Amino acid sequence: MNARNTNDDAGQPDGCPPAASAATPARPSLRFLWLSLAVLGASLTVFGTAMAAQDAGATDAAQATVALSKSIGIWCAALMTIGILTFLYKDNPFYKVCESILIGVSAAYWMVNGFWSTLVPNLFGKLMPSVVREYAIPSLPVSDTPGFDMALAFVPLALGLMLLWRLAPKGGWISVWPLAFIIGTTAGIRLVASIEADLLAQASATIRPLVVMKDSVLAPAAGGGSAATAEMAATAVRTVDFWGTVGAVTGVVGVLSVLSYFFFSLEHKGAVGKSARLGVWFLMITFGSAFGLTVMGRITLLAQRLEFLFKDWLGLG
Amino acid sequence: MNTNTHDRQGGGGGGSFLSRLGGLDRRWIFLAMGLSIAVPILLKLRFPEVPGPMARATFDAIESIPAGSRVLLAFDYDPASAGELQPMANAMVHHCAARGHRIVFMALWPLGKQMADATIKDVLLEFHPQYAYGTDYVQLGYKAGNEAVVKLMATDIPQQYSTDAAGAALASLPLVADVKSTTDFKLVASISAGYPGAKEWVQYANSANPEAFKLVSGSTGVQVSQLLPYYPAQMEGLLVAVKGAAEYEMLVTAAYPSADKPDLLAERLGQGRVRMGPQLVAHLLMIGLIILGNIAMVAGRSRGGAR
Repeated sequence: MNARNTNDDAGQPDGCPPAASAATPARPSLRFLWLSLAVLGASLTVFGTAMAAQDAGATDAAQATVALSKSIGIWCAALMTIGILTFLYKDNPFYKVCESILIGVSAAYWMVNGFWSTLVPNLFGKLMPSVVREYAIPSLPVSDTPGFDMALAFVPLALGLMLLWRLAPKGGWISVWPLAFIIGTTAGIRLVASIEADLLAQASATIRPLVVMKDSVLAPAAGGGSAATAEMAATAVRTVDFWGTVGAVTGVVGVLSVLSYFFFSLEHKGAVGKSARLGVWFLMITFGSAFGLTVMGRITLLAQRLEFLFKDWLGLG
Repeated sequence: MNTNTHDRQGGGGGGSFLSRLGGLDRRWIFLAMGLSIAVPILLKLRFPEVPGPMARATFDAIESIPAGSRVLLAFDYDPASAGELQPMANAMVHHCAARGHRIVFMALWPLGKQMADATIKDVLLEFHPQYAYGTDYVQLGYKAGNEAVVKLMATDIPQQYSTDAAGAALASLPLVADVKSTTDFKLVASISAGYPGAKEWVQYANSANPEAFKLVSGSTGVQVSQLLPYYPAQMEGLLVAVKGAAEYEMLVTAAYPSADKPDLLAERLGQGRVRMGPQLVAHLLMIGLIILGNIAMVAGRSRGGAR
């Protein structure tokens, strides 16, 4: 009984009341059945109303045509959206079904995509180009050195098979070699890019004047029409850009203080401690900013789904 | 049992308002958040947007290259991020076409090609029907390989893309017949939802040839904190989430309105601004809840101290 309670609670979002199934196992199923029937009934009602409205609003036969495949697609998407959102109330079978469909479709999609976008053109297209050209990719480019390409393609083929050896009951160590190859090449490719784009270029961008100057144009005096005034008006003068300077100083102070926070060769006491403490403030502001941006993104996602439900599904607005 | 649970969660017991607030069932907050987003959508609330420096820099980057330049637009996202990124993509394609730039589309994400196709249909051919395939725009499509694709494009595009998405040889398409590498473009834009995306364009294309072309990006809110350090030294413009999209839409529609289809343009290039209405209300709600939650916490601590 305890185990059942634990499992039931584990399925709930934090803070939500536990399901009553532990005490009365039959009631949630019935409730869910009634809920599902209600959702289905409401959906069919809305569907019928929408179709009737579409027919009534049509002025000729062409406009009255119902795009069946599109309608089914919209209805599937709408019900899936609602199904996923039901988790906000509590975990339920409708949500589980939608979640499972999403996972299944995604996994299948990535598998098929990997096969057609990677294996077929990059491996089979090199090993047996004429077959691939005839049955899969008619536009597969013709190589000038097909023999060399084929010989070279045996290397990834062998590495791939070695990687799959992990599934065999014996000789799992064989899969370590292609893994080592992958890790080595990836590290090599990324190392150079990181040093160039993230270390050197970023350090260079940080080393800049603390006092930022800007060009200002002197305005001519009112009523003044002399040649000297006109010449003065056209002359740009260098003035201090206050907010640019504030930004430059903040950037340099922020970089140095955050670096001092991650500098562990000296104990964080005295000046180093104060600098590290300031670095913590910069980090906290950065995390807060990142969180705010994430929230903005999530709100947009929900807004987009609600727009879809209101506009494409229900035809509101 | 249920009643007890709800009393505990929802605070139905008769305590003070703040103590009940501390035990508020989170589903009331979900409901409030849902309403705060749904109501502005239904009421079509729109608020004026003032373009910020990053949106303006993106706009200026596309303006600054000569009319008719060859630009590369990488659709590095899929439908999961379309809410934030599609408004940027729509506005950027309209902007480039209005300037007469010739556009090459590509994707580092498998579904990016479909997103680009939708943009071509809904924006490019809708408002710029004179654009002809092969001479004014080309769809290269998706290529698997993540950063390796970008790295190879920086040196040898024909080796990476021997054909376009439909299987036509690049040599047969005038727009890309003589293209050798990313240096043959005046501007590269990545509408990016994550890996691979804008970061990889900075690391593998821009770093190899920092002066050869301008790089701009539109990014999701989740990813943008990783990209901000690159602006403005390594990335000339950056559109930050749906806010950046709304600001950019303002700039583009003000500069390049549609004479014959103004309403359609307002709809297709107004999605970012439409989604900023719910943002405002939802953010106000969230700020209010954070303040209330902290007051409840402080009040709870004081009561605990008093006891």
